[in-house]
Amino acid sequence: MRRLLLTLRTAASSPVRNARSATVLGRLLGAAFLICLLTGLYSHFLQEPASWMRFPTSPVWLYQVTQGIHITAGIASIPLLLGKLHAVFPQLFQHPPVRHPVQVLERASIALFVATSVLQLVTGLLNTYQWYPWPFPFKQVHFALSFVIIGSLAVHIAVKLPLITRYWRARDSYDAEGRFVEPAGELDPARAEHEAVRELARMRRDEAPTSTSQPDAGAAPTDAPQPRGLVGRVTRWIDDAREPERDPARARVSRRGFFGAVGASTVGVVALTAGQSFTPLQPLNAFGPRQRGIGPNDLPVNRTASAAKVLETAMDPDWQLTIAHGERTMAFTAADLEAMAQGDERLPISCVEGWSQTAHWRGPRLVELMALVGAPADRSLRVTSLEAKGGYRVMLMGPEYATDPATLVALEVNGGRLDIEHGYPARMIAPGRPGVLQTKWLSLIEVI
Amino acid sequence: MRVTRAVLLLVGVALIGLGGWVLTETVSPTRYGGLLVWLIGGVIAHDAIIAPLVAGVAVLLGRTGRRIRPAVLAILQVGVVLGVVLSLVVVPEIIAKARGTKNETVLPFDYGVRLGVAWLVVAVVTALAVVVWTVLARRREARRAA
Repeated sequence: MRRLLLTLRTAASSPVRNARSATVLGRLLGAAFLICLLTGLYSHFLQEPASWMRFPTSPVWLYQVTQGIHITAGIASIPLLLGKLHAVFPQLFQHPPVRHPVQVLERASIALFVATSVLQLVTGLLNTYQWYPWPFPFKQVHFALSFVIIGSLAVHIAVKLPLITRYWRARDSYDAEGRFVEPAGELDPARAEHEAVRELARMRRDEAPTSTSQPDAGAAPTDAPQPRGLVGRVTRWIDDAREPERDPARARVSRRGFFGAVGASTVGVVALTAGQSFTPLQPLNAFGPRQRGIGPNDLPVNRTASAAKVLETAMDPDWQLTIAHGERTMAFTAADLEAMAQGDERLPISCVEGWSQTAHWRGPRLVELMALVGAPADRSLRVTSLEAKGGYRVMLMGPEYATDPATLVALEVNGGRLDIEHGYPARMIAPGRPGVLQTKWLSLIEVI
Repeated sequence: MRVTRAVLLLVGVALIGLGGWVLTETVSPTRYGGLLVWLIGGVIAHDAIIAPLVAGVAVLLGRTGRRIRPAVLAILQVGVVLGVVLSLVVVPEIIAKARGTKNETVLPFDYGVRLGVAWLVVAVVTALAVVVWTVLARRREARRAA
C-alpha cells in the first residue's frame, strides 16, 4: 500500500505541485468565492428580505453590476479551482493517509470543500443555461452550499495557515536557483506552525535558504526505497519522464507554463462570456447564454406570456389595473394610464443569472398613481400579476422602491408599446431590483 | 497566528453548521440522497477521471517531449488547457440548447460552431507563438555561439 501511494504520488508530482502554487491559486480562488458569497447574499436578501430591511435604489445599476460580478467570478472560479486541485493533487496520496488527529479534520474539511465547490460551480453554470439535470431544487441547494463552502474554506485556511504564511511571498518559496524550498515538517500539522515560524525567521536572517526536504515528502523518488517487480518498472518509467524537471531552469519554465495555462483559461472564459453582463466586453460575447438586443423590443425574455398563461387575459380589451388602499380603490384602463403624465427612465433589467440590459422605459410614475389613492410613503405594496400561477405571481415591494420617482408602471420600452412577452399591457420597472421582481402583466397593486 | 487559526476554525465550523441547517430547513429530506450522489460524483469525476488523465498526459509529454524545447511544451500546454477549459464551459451549453430552451432569447447562438472556431483560433495562435519563440531562441543561440 505504501509503495502504491508513493508511486501514485511520484507519478503526480511536478514542479508546479507545491505549497507555493497552492498558496497563489488559493488566494485568487478564495477571493473569487468570497465575492460570489457576498453578491449572492445581496441577491438573496433582495428577493427574500426580512421585514426591517431597506435597500439602496441608486445607483440604478447596483443590482445589475453585483450579479454580473457574481456570475463572472463564478465562471472565473472554474479554471482557478481546477488549477488549485491540480497543484495539491499529490496530497491525495499521503502515506500513511492520516498521521495525526488534526489531519482527520483537515482531510474531511478538504473533501467537503472540494465536493461542495465542484457542485456549486456545476449547478451555477448550468443554471445560466437554464438546464437542471439534478434531482434537487437549484436555488435552495445553491444557497445552503454557499455557507458550507465558505465554512470548509475557513477550516482549511485555519489548518494550512502556517504553510500559507510560509509561502505567501515568492522569495521565501524558491532558492537562488529557482528550486522550490520544501517545507519542514510538511506532513505533521501539529508542528507545522512552529516549524513554519522558525523557518521564516531563519530565512529572513540568511540570504540563501537551503532545502530541508524530508526523505519521503514526495520530492525526489530516489530517496524512496526502490520497489521491484511491476510496480518498480512503472515507477522507474515515470521517474524517467520526471528526470529533466529536476533541472531548475526547466522547472521554472514548467511553472510558467502552468500559471500561463491557468491565467489564459481564466481570462478566456471571462472575456468570452462576460459580454452578457458588461457593455465593454459585448463584442467578445461568443459563449454567453444571453445576448443584449435580441428579442421583442430588442430585449431578451425570461418568462414568456404562454408559460405564464396570460395570452388571453393580457390581450383582453377590458383589462384594468386596480390600485387599492384599504377602502379606497381605483381602476385604470390602458387608455387612462396612457392619458396620465408619462415618466421616462433608463433602467436596467437584470437577471440573477447574470445577464442584463439597460432599456428606455416610459409610463406613469408609481408615486403619482399611489398618491391618487392617498397611499402613505412608509408602506409596502403587494403587486399581483395576471399570471395564473408561478413563484413570482405576487411580488412585495418595499417603500424605498414604491416611493422612488424612477419606479414606473411601464407601458412602453425602447420607443415601442410593450410586447406581450415583456408584460403588455403594463409592467413594473424599479431601479436596482432583480428581474423576477419587475412584475409583468400587472393586475392589482395593494397598499399593505 | 494561534488566535487567527482558532477564530477561523470556529467561524468555519459555525458556517458549515449554518449551511447544514439552511439545507434541512429549505430542502425536502427526499432530496438528500440525490444531493449526496451528486456531491460524491463531483469528487469522483475529478479525482478518479480528470486528474489522472491530466497526470497521464503530463507523464507522456514528459517522456516524448525530451527533444522539444521546454518552453515550446509550455506554450502548447497553455493552448491545450485553454481549449479544454473553454470546452468544459461550452459543451454543457451545446447540450442545453439541443434539449430545447424556453424561448429564443435563451442560448440564441450555434455554440458548437463557435467552439470549433475558438479551437481553431487557439490552435493558430499557439502555432504562431511556437514558431516565433523557436525563431527567437535560435537567433539567441546563434549569437551566443558567435
